[in-house]
Amino acid sequence: MSDIKVAPEGLEVARTLDAKGLSCPMPLLRTKKEIEKINSGEILEILGTDPGSRNDIPGWCARAGHEYLGEREDDGFIRFYVKKK
Amino acid sequence: MSEGLFSQKVKNFFKLLCQTEWNATASGLIIAILSILIMAWWRPWGAVGAIRNWGEWILYGIGIFGQKPSSVLISSGSVIGIGFVAGAFISACLGNDFSFKFPPPWELVKAIIAGILMGVGSAFAGGCNVGGMYNAIGNLAANGFTMWLGLIIGVVLGLKYIYWEMEHVTWGTSGGKNFDFPYGLKIVIGLVGIAALIWGAYKYAGMSDDYAASLSGILLISAGLGYTMQRGRWCMVQAFREPHMTGDCTLAKSVALSILVLAVGAAVLKYAVPQRGSSVAVKSVLMDVVEDIDTDEIQDEELADTLDDLTDAAEQAVVSARRVLDPVNYVRGTFGWGAILGGFLFGLGAMFAGGCGSGTLWRVGEGQMKLWLVVPFFGISNAIMTKWFRAIHMEGTGPMHEGSKLGIHLYLPDALGYGWTLAIVALAMALWYIIVDWNEDSNKLIVEM
Repeated sequence: MSDIKVAPEGLEVARTLDAKGLSCPMPLLRTKKEIEKINSGEILEILGTDPGSRNDIPGWCARAGHEYLGEREDDGFIRFYVKKK
Repeated sequence: MSEGLFSQKVKNFFKLLCQTEWNATASGLIIAILSILIMAWWRPWGAVGAIRNWGEWILYGIGIFGQKPSSVLISSGSVIGIGFVAGAFISACLGNDFSFKFPPPWELVKAIIAGILMGVGSAFAGGCNVGGMYNAIGNLAANGFTMWLGLIIGVVLGLKYIYWEMEHVTWGTSGGKNFDFPYGLKIVIGLVGIAALIWGAYKYAGMSDDYAASLSGILLISAGLGYTMQRGRWCMVQAFREPHMTGDCTLAKSVALSILVLAVGAAVLKYAVPQRGSSVAVKSVLMDVVEDIDTDEIQDEELADTLDDLTDAAEQAVVSARRVLDPVNYVRGTFGWGAILGGFLFGLGAMFAGGCGSGTLWRVGEGQMKLWLVVPFFGISNAIMTKWFRAIHMEGTGPMHEGSKLGIHLYLPDALGYGWTLAIVALAMALWYIIVDWNEDSNKLIVEM
């Protein structure tokens, strides 16, 4: 029952993944694949609409060692930010 | 100052009840308790009963099925589905999770394949992940264990397929859309939904027919299940998948605990209640006696009438007790290859869908259009398979499924007694718990991308 972590404004994003409309488990699997395409220390932005991602993405970050920077609500979707380890 | 503090606490309470994601263990326990309650009310819940009834209506509507299916408001399976989706919808509205989520086109193709696989799989297994596995093990039926095994195999293979798909399928994998509404409007709709459920339950309760009146509790308890599952994002396919995908075993542990609690509750109901009022008890104590009475030979008219009434009442008692808690009604003749194959196909389909039977329905309540498409294909394929299986007596005949070609009808306590049955369920769930926990740290069972 964790509170939502809000990402800081103006993050410099290396790559953006459009996972809008996708449902579990696709957003997380796409994220796993997409993060392979950026370098360590760079930030991946994920655009999603599945409420489950709010739990899945931070949980996976903790497990895989990436830094979860938080989310920002946009118009009808959520932007998630992950910094690669 | 104190008023500010109090309203803060009210806000926190609303947030806890309606907005935050409930912890998996608590959700699993609430689901187990509600599952025991609905069983005590008179029947275990399931998802496929509703989905099949709706599929039968589609087939009837397009002229393929000639016989009119039972009404969606009277079939107990369908009422469970309606309550469940309504509960999930209310939860999604109050928690601001509801919106119409349109997936990219490839996901819609997968939804159709998923629905067909799940419909066929649940026909072989004698239920979906709920009726065929969760409530089957919970009802101490051996076929639950074979479906459990099939589900694991299907989910792992489904995961491998999804990895393959991510490398090879590029058509239609992006461009999803989302249509959201203002949160305030969702809260109002959610509250209207609660009022509608209560109104519906009173409407049922007021019906003169005993069966229809009993649907009041079925509707409300199912709504509680849907609410809890959406709020806890409690998904059984995730419990099977996650240990092999990320290693996370939170939901697997929660499902294991939930099944154990349910099995204990079911054992209490099934062991204790038949001693007092099951069809067997009524039959041996009452029916055998009254059947021997020939009321025509009795001269006293009043006594003859009374005895006639008694015979009717005894017959009624046997019928209703049979419907309520008699274990044989919830054991399927699929302990064997049927439930393994069924579990496998269902698990594979659930991976395509991104939700099992129950997970599909609560995601429908959340506005996930992909799952909206899964349901009709699931229902149609299951309705056709079930009709065909019935015609060829695939699952045998009668409540004991004599001559089933899919496997054995085995109520575990008949073979092992209640004590050993509970010990086996506890042992199996403990083993599952320990293995997924071990895997979370060792990652031995993870299927690599």
